[in-house]
Amino acid sequence: MNAERGPRSPAAQAAAALLLALSRAARSFILYEPGNAIVRQFLEDYQAKARGAVDEHGELNIEVRPFEMLVQGEVVYRDQDREKSLAFKLFRDGVRRLSLLRLVTFEELLKLLEILAVRYAGVRQQEEDTLTLLRKAEFGGITIVGVEGFAPAEESPEPALDAPVENVERARHLQPPAGFDTPLPKLSSPGPLHYREVAQELLLPIRAEAGGGTMAELAVSLVRDLIQEGARAGWPTNDPELLGFLAEVRDGLLAERDLASLRRLIDLLGEVGGAEMRQETLRSLGDAHTLDLILESVREDAARLPPDLVPLLPLVGIDAALERLGANPSEARRRLLTQVVLARLPREADVVLTRLPAFDPRIARDLGRGIVGRAPERAVEVARQFLAQSDEELRLEGLAALESAPGEIPLRPVRELLGDASESVRVRAAEVLGCRGDESVIDALKAALQGGRAIPPREAEAIGQALARAAPIAASRVFADWIAPRARFLRGLSAEQRACQWAAVAGMGLLPGSPEQVLGALAERSEGELRRHCLATLARWRKGTDAGRE
Amino acid sequence: MLVANELARAQEHLNRAIGRARAGEDRELAQKVREKGETLAHLLGGLLKMSRVHAADNRAFDVPLGQLASALEELVRLLGPVHLVAVEDQVYVNDVRVRSESRAGESDLGVELGKHNVGGLSFHAPLAAPTLRALVAAFAEKPAGVAPRQSLQKKLAEGGVRSVELAPRFRFRTEEREELLNRDPVDAIRRAVMLVAESFDNLGAGRTLSALPLRHAVVEMLEIGPWAPELWETVGEGMPHAAHAAAVALISLLVGRAVGLRASVLQDLGLAALCHDLGYAGLPREMSSGPEGLARHPAEGAHLMLRQHGYNEAKLRRLRAVLDHHRDHVEPRSRPSILGQILRLADDYTTLCRVHAGRISPADALGAMAQAAGRLYHPILCQVMVNVLGRYPPGTLLELEDGRYARSVSPARAKESFAAPLARLCDPSGRALSAERIDLAVSGAVRRALPG
Repeated sequence: MNAERGPRSPAAQAAAALLLALSRAARSFILYEPGNAIVRQFLEDYQAKARGAVDEHGELNIEVRPFEMLVQGEVVYRDQDREKSLAFKLFRDGVRRLSLLRLVTFEELLKLLEILAVRYAGVRQQEEDTLTLLRKAEFGGITIVGVEGFAPAEESPEPALDAPVENVERARHLQPPAGFDTPLPKLSSPGPLHYREVAQELLLPIRAEAGGGTMAELAVSLVRDLIQEGARAGWPTNDPELLGFLAEVRDGLLAERDLASLRRLIDLLGEVGGAEMRQETLRSLGDAHTLDLILESVREDAARLPPDLVPLLPLVGIDAALERLGANPSEARRRLLTQVVLARLPREADVVLTRLPAFDPRIARDLGRGIVGRAPERAVEVARQFLAQSDEELRLEGLAALESAPGEIPLRPVRELLGDASESVRVRAAEVLGCRGDESVIDALKAALQGGRAIPPREAEAIGQALARAAPIAASRVFADWIAPRARFLRGLSAEQRACQWAAVAGMGLLPGSPEQVLGALAERSEGELRRHCLATLARWRKGTDAGRE
Repeated sequence: MLVANELARAQEHLNRAIGRARAGEDRELAQKVREKGETLAHLLGGLLKMSRVHAADNRAFDVPLGQLASALEELVRLLGPVHLVAVEDQVYVNDVRVRSESRAGESDLGVELGKHNVGGLSFHAPLAAPTLRALVAAFAEKPAGVAPRQSLQKKLAEGGVRSVELAPRFRFRTEEREELLNRDPVDAIRRAVMLVAESFDNLGAGRTLSALPLRHAVVEMLEIGPWAPELWETVGEGMPHAAHAAAVALISLLVGRAVGLRASVLQDLGLAALCHDLGYAGLPREMSSGPEGLARHPAEGAHLMLRQHGYNEAKLRRLRAVLDHHRDHVEPRSRPSILGQILRLADDYTTLCRVHAGRISPADALGAMAQAAGRLYHPILCQVMVNVLGRYPPGTLLELEDGRYARSVSPARAKESFAAPLARLCDPSGRALSAERIDLAVSGAVRRALPG
C-alpha cells in the first residue's frame, strides 16, 4: 500500500496516514453495505487523520503521480493496483495536485470523499467527470490542480506548403431557418444607456434563486412542464425520451429517499397528463431497480410497507416483485413482497396467474387468495392452477376458491378429486360438490363410496351430506337402499355397505322432512358407533344446527 | 472529534450521493464511447505499428481493418464527427478519455502519429476498409522533412481519404497560472462555435448531445474571461446559428459573472446558452420558421436534450433554462428561471443585432431592450446587461470626435470605461479594421454610434 520505507518527516507521515484513511473510506462503499459500522469507522478515521494532519502541519500539498503521491518530495502513498490505487484514479482523472488547507472543513472533506467514492463505485458520468465535480464543489479549504483537457503543443506552426492542401470533406451542416428566433417582441424606441450600480441586496436573491432550490424541485417542475409541452407539441404518450427522463427522476428521488417528491411526481403525472397517462407512465416505469430501492429503504425485518411508501406501489414492476418472491426471501421480505404484488391486483392478475405454479406453496397460496379476494371472477383460474398441484394445501386452497367462485364452476376436476390420495382433499371435494353440484355429481359421489376401498367415516359422512345437498330427491332414494342394506349370509355387512349406510345416515339429517323414524329405528337395532352416529345426527337435526337445514 | 450522530449523518449523506450518482450514470453514451473509442485507438495504433513491417496490402491487415471500419462506423453513428486525440500516454475520443492501460495499441498510437507531427485525427464520416487501408499506407510512408503533417494531409487527399482531418500535437493543459495566460481566445471561440454546429447536426441526425466538450468550451471561455476582445472579434465567424449561440454564451457569462453566480452555475448557464437553440434541429422544416418555430423550439430543444441520459443538477438547470428562454419576465404561468431570463436577454439582444444589422447599432438594440425592462425582461438583469456590455457594445460602429471611425471590440471593462470600449479604427462603412486596437478610455472620444 504505502511506500515500503515509510516517510520520514512528521508532515509526510501525517499525510500518509490521511491518504490511507481517505482511500480506505472511499473504497469502503463498494466493499460494505453503506450503513455498515465499518464504513462509519473509516469515516471517523479519515476525519481524524485529516484534521490532525492540517492542524499539526498546516497546508498539505500532495503531488499526484500515476501510482504514488508525494508530500515535500517524499512518497506518502504508493499502490500499483489500478483497481484500488487512489493515486492512479486521481491521476487518470486529471488531478495533478491536491492541497488541503488549514481551514478545510469536515463538509469539504466529506465532499472530496463523496466524489472519490463515486469514482471508486465505478459510476461513469459523461458530463460531470471527476475534475468537473471537484471544480464545481468550489472548495474553500481544498485546492486542486488538474489537467484541463489538452492544447496544441506546436511551438510554431508548420510552414505552408507550396500547393495548398485540399479542404477536408465534412458532412453538410444543418441549419435552422434564416429567420430563427424571430419574430422578435415589439420594442419601443431605444432609450439612453447609463451605467447604474446594482446594489448587492438586489443581486443576492437572484444569486440564491439561480443556484438554490433542490434538485427534486427542479426535476419535478421540469416533468410538469415537459409533459405539458409534450401534449401541446403532440409527443406520443410513450415518448421514449420523456419516459427515460421520468425514470431518471424517479431513480434520483429514490436514491435521495425523497419520498415526498416522488409522491408529488406521481400525483403530477395524474394532474397534468391525466389518469390514463399516469397509469401508462407508471406501468412503463416499474422496474426491478425501483423495487430494490424501495426495499432498501425499508428495514429488513419490516413485514409491511410504511404508509408513506404505499402510494409508490404502482411504481414497482410486478415482474421484479415476482422474481424476488421466487428467490426464497426471508419471512419478513416474503410478506412485504406479497403485499407489493397484491397491490397490483387485479390489474396484473394474468402475470401472477402465469407464474403461480412456480412458487413455493405458501407464497402461491397467499397470491392465489389475493387474486380470489380482489378478482373473484378469476377464482376458477386460480383453482385450476391449484387443483393440479402436488401440494395438498394448494389443492385444498383450490377447492376453497371454487367453493366461493361466482357463477358456474367446472365440476369435473372436483369429481376427480374424490379419488385423491389425501383424505382431507377427498372430504373437501365432496363438500364442494355438495355446495356447487347438481344431479350430475350423484354418480361420482356414489362411485366414491363403492370403489372397493376402505372409506373413513368422515369421508362417508361428507359424501352423504353432499348427495343430500346436491340432489335431495335422488339422494333420498339412494339413502333408502343404503340405510337398510341386505347383509351377506353369515358374514354381515361389507365395508362398502357400512360406508354407504354411514353416508346415508349423515345425508338424511339434511333431507327435507323428518328423519326421526328411520334413524330412530336404525339406532334401536344398532349398537356401537353406528348407533351413536344415528343419535348424533338426530340431535343435530333437532337442534336445527345442520348446516344444510339452516 | 465528531459525535456519533454527525458520523451517521455523514454516512447517510454519502450513501445518498452514491445512489444519486448511479441514477445519473450515463451508460448509454459514455460507456459506448469508451468501449468503441478504445477499440478504435487500439486497432489504429496496432495497424500503424504493423505497417512498419508489412506492406499495407498485406492480407494480415484485412481483419483489423474490417474491425476498425466497424468501430468507426459505430462511433460516427453515436457522435457524428469523431475526434481522436493522443496526448502523452492518454487517448481521448471527443473529450472522453478512452485509454485502457492494459492494451498496447493505444500507447503506440501517440508515437506513430507523432512521426508525422500529428496529434489527432478527426473522422468526419465513416470509412470503408479500403479507405482505411489507404490511411494506414499514407502513415507508413516516410514523414516529409518539411511540414510533415500538411504533407500527410495532402497525401491522404490524393489517396481518396478526404474526410479525415489531421490535428497538430497536443499537450495537457493544467490550471497553472502561466497556462491560463497562454490560452488562445481565438482558438477557444472557434472551437465553441464548431462544437455548437456539430451538436446541432448531431441532434438533427438523431444522436445524443455530448455535453462534455461543450462544458470544456465554456470553462475555457470563463478562464479566458468573456470580456476578452479576441473572443468578440471572432465570435461572428462560422455557421450563423452556431456563432449566435456562442455570442449568447459570452453575454450570458458576462451577465452571470456580474450577478455573482457561483462558478458551477455559471458553467451550467454557459452550456445552456450554447444549447439554447438546438431545438430547431428537431423541428420539421414547415414548422421551424416564424412564430411557430419560435414557440416550439425551446420545448423541442429540451426534448432532444433528454436523449442525453443522467440525473444531475447541470442537466436539470440546462433543461430549465432552455425551456424558459423565450418566456417573458411577466409570464402568466409562472416566472421563468433566472438562467432562462439571462438567456432571454442575451438571445434577444443577439437576434436584434443580427436581424437588424446595418439598420440599427448594437447600442440601439440594447437601448430598446432596456426600455422593455420589467415587462419583457427582468429589470435588474437587464440593467446588469447594460452595465456589462457598455454604452457601445462590441460591434458598434463609432464616429469619433476627431472624425475617424472605429468599431467597438470589447464589452465594458469597468464603470469608468462604460462609454469607452476597446475599438479598431475602420473606414466609414465599418470595414477594413485596423490591425491595432485603440483604447478609448485612454485616448479618443466617441461622438456617436452609427447603425451598421
